Amino acid sequence: MGIYESLNERLYLDKIVEFSKKKKVPVFYGTIWYYLGGVSLFLFITQVVSGVLLLLYYQPGVATAFESVRFIVSKVEFGWLIREIHSWSANLFIFFVFLHMFTVFFAKAYRKPRELTWFSGMLLLFLALGFGFSGYLLPWNELAFFATKVGSDIAGSIPVVGDFLLRLLRGGDEVSGATLSRFFGIHVAIIPAVFTVLLGIHLVLVQVQGMSIPPELEKVPEEDRRYMPFFPNFALRDVLTWLIILNVVALLAVFFPWELGVKADFLAPAPPGVKPEWYFMFMYQTLRLIPAHVWFIEGELLGILTFMLGGLIWFFVPLLDKKAKVGERSKFWNWFGIILIIYMITMTIWGYLV
Amino acid sequence: MRNLQLLGVILFFMGFLLAEQQPIPKEDACIRCHKEMDEEQEEGQKLFPDILNDIHLKRGLSCADCHGGDPEAFDDEDKAMWDNESFSGEVSRTDEIAMCGSCHSDPRFMRQYSTAIRTDQVKQYWTSKHGMELKRGNKKVAICTDCHGVHGILSVEDPRSPVYDMNVPSTCSNCHSNSDYMAEFGIPTDQYYKYRKSVHGEALLDNNDVGAPACNDCHGNHGAIPPDVSHISDICGTCHVNNDQLFQESHLKPIFVKRGFGQCEACHGNHEVLKPNDDFLNWEHGSVCVQCHEDKGGEAKIMADHFYTLLDSLKGQIAIANSFVEKADQKGMEVSDLLFPLEEAHKVLIQTRTSIHSFNKDYVEEIAKPGFEATKTAIEGGKAALAEFDFRRKGLFISSLIITFLALALYLKIKDIDRKQSKDKS
Repeated sequence: MGIYESLNERLYLDKIVEFSKKKKVPVFYGTIWYYLGGVSLFLFITQVVSGVLLLLYYQPGVATAFESVRFIVSKVEFGWLIREIHSWSANLFIFFVFLHMFTVFFAKAYRKPRELTWFSGMLLLFLALGFGFSGYLLPWNELAFFATKVGSDIAGSIPVVGDFLLRLLRGGDEVSGATLSRFFGIHVAIIPAVFTVLLGIHLVLVQVQGMSIPPELEKVPEEDRRYMPFFPNFALRDVLTWLIILNVVALLAVFFPWELGVKADFLAPAPPGVKPEWYFMFMYQTLRLIPAHVWFIEGELLGILTFMLGGLIWFFVPLLDKKAKVGERSKFWNWFGIILIIYMITMTIWGYLV
Repeated sequence: MRNLQLLGVILFFMGFLLAEQQPIPKEDACIRCHKEMDEEQEEGQKLFPDILNDIHLKRGLSCADCHGGDPEAFDDEDKAMWDNESFSGEVSRTDEIAMCGSCHSDPRFMRQYSTAIRTDQVKQYWTSKHGMELKRGNKKVAICTDCHGVHGILSVEDPRSPVYDMNVPSTCSNCHSNSDYMAEFGIPTDQYYKYRKSVHGEALLDNNDVGAPACNDCHGNHGAIPPDVSHISDICGTCHVNNDQLFQESHLKPIFVKRGFGQCEACHGNHEVLKPNDDFLNWEHGSVCVQCHEDKGGEAKIMADHFYTLLDSLKGQIAIANSFVEKADQKGMEVSDLLFPLEEAHKVLIQTRTSIHSFNKDYVEEIAKPGFEATKTAIEGGKAALAEFDFRRKGLFISSLIITFLALALYLKIKDIDRKQSKDKS
């Protein structure tokens, strides 16, 4: 008896093979957007692999974090490459997750029965941002130190839970060694554990429910729709996209290396140009533009409350978009999405220009 | 809460009041009359308001403590001055030292103002050139008030005082730069001019570095006396400890003493001590050695050339190491580790310059050695970083080529599958 037969008896591989043979992907103008989820998954895997390799040398701690990263990039064989890949793929990962989210939004792929897929995807996006925020501090350099200070200050402004959240994040009143240990734990254990579970749910849901098609395509009779087999046609195209992304990551790693900067110093004044990571810039710039007081409420608080409300509305869009439920496009939600994208891009550019 | 706020406001304003509050000199008969007379005086002759800042008046002394008389005799000039036995009027230049010393040389009296205050000024003064000349009857020499001021004497710590560190050179120059005034003493009058251009003058007067020496740091304060040739290095050595120690142990020391050369001064000058540079050893250009060795270069030239070449070579190596490290840094390589050997090399360069004062070839070479080793480490590290940069570029090119080839093969395979499938369908 061969290995396959032997495994099949125990794992019912035939059923999986049968499922993959039947699985098909709609072919239309928007098929290309289907690859974004796969690209995000590939970048996440890259993150895990490079992150585990970095863990072999990285030492959290005020006295060792910066030094160990410097050791990795200057002394460890190919350490620089691993760190560059980790940093660049992290940024690309968040970029593609955002892109994936917006394509899903405009394709109305969140409508029934895929509400849970949207919810799990949104939670994965929040966790991805958490990955970015916690990972940024780990090299313990000056810019990261102050960006974390500003970022956690903003979290501390949230009404009711702000103080608790601030202390929870920092492990004390100030950004310190305790914050670094905490962020390390969050970055390499807590978020990965929750992320993996949610990612599993997200992928299972995608497989069970199949690919969503836009509402207008749904009206086309089944016999007039075009499909391609998932395996091997779509799977091979997925791999092709991954290879292109891998090439892009390698190019970025060599031509645009991330600077290690200067080691964080508790007593040093904040250096000029302290800015958050690009994916937080639109929020940061908004908070900078809001006046100190708007009517009776503090400007920063108003900004945070608005973002929280906006985030909640975005999260619950599958329940709020009544037209999508009946297979129609809502002009209101379309414009909501378009204005949001324009706003995010404008604020991000503005944030970098000032 | 309101009470607390009120208390805060009161304390705040009290702080201002306290900060402004100075001991106001008691208005006695002397002050009252002389204030009125002062109005008729010409500018420069007026006592007020400077006298009110006088440290003596502020500490409770009165005019009568120096000039005698009865300060309580208001509206009676005779009783206040002329009929009073203690009244001395203007203190003569010869009596002034003893008059100031009557308090300033009394430790018991002076202790009430500060336990650390010195009381040896008069004793030192009589050992100084000024004191000795005064004893001989020359009244043109400096006495207490010439340096400290007459009325309105300020604390030495007060930046407005003529004897505050940064004001000492110009105070001394009041007399010492006046060629007419100094003519009878037969000493040069260009000291201030020279000092002003010196490394010390620049540090003190341009960079406000009060740690830099003024006239009194080398010549003494109250015991001001020109250092004799054999003691110059002792004076310079109080700050330049290592240079002095090396020179004292060098083979040149006894020769300098025997021939009466001014040790440090022989090469560096006295008032015009310029910032030393490596050309001091350059036999062809700017060497100070040729001042004595001009005609008999020989061994001295060989040694100077050797030191000059050694310094030049270390500087050259540091420059090369710097360029490699900078180049690697500009290319985005992590080279912060190499900054340590570079810093070490700079430190050794300074130590090597100091070690020249030993005039010992072997010793200087020994000191310079770690500097060359450090530059070697930095150069090798810089070269390795640049090689690594090239390796990364080449590696990227090869990896990228492989990935592109794989992607292309995959693309062709996909097209092939698509073609076969559409053929099967049709």
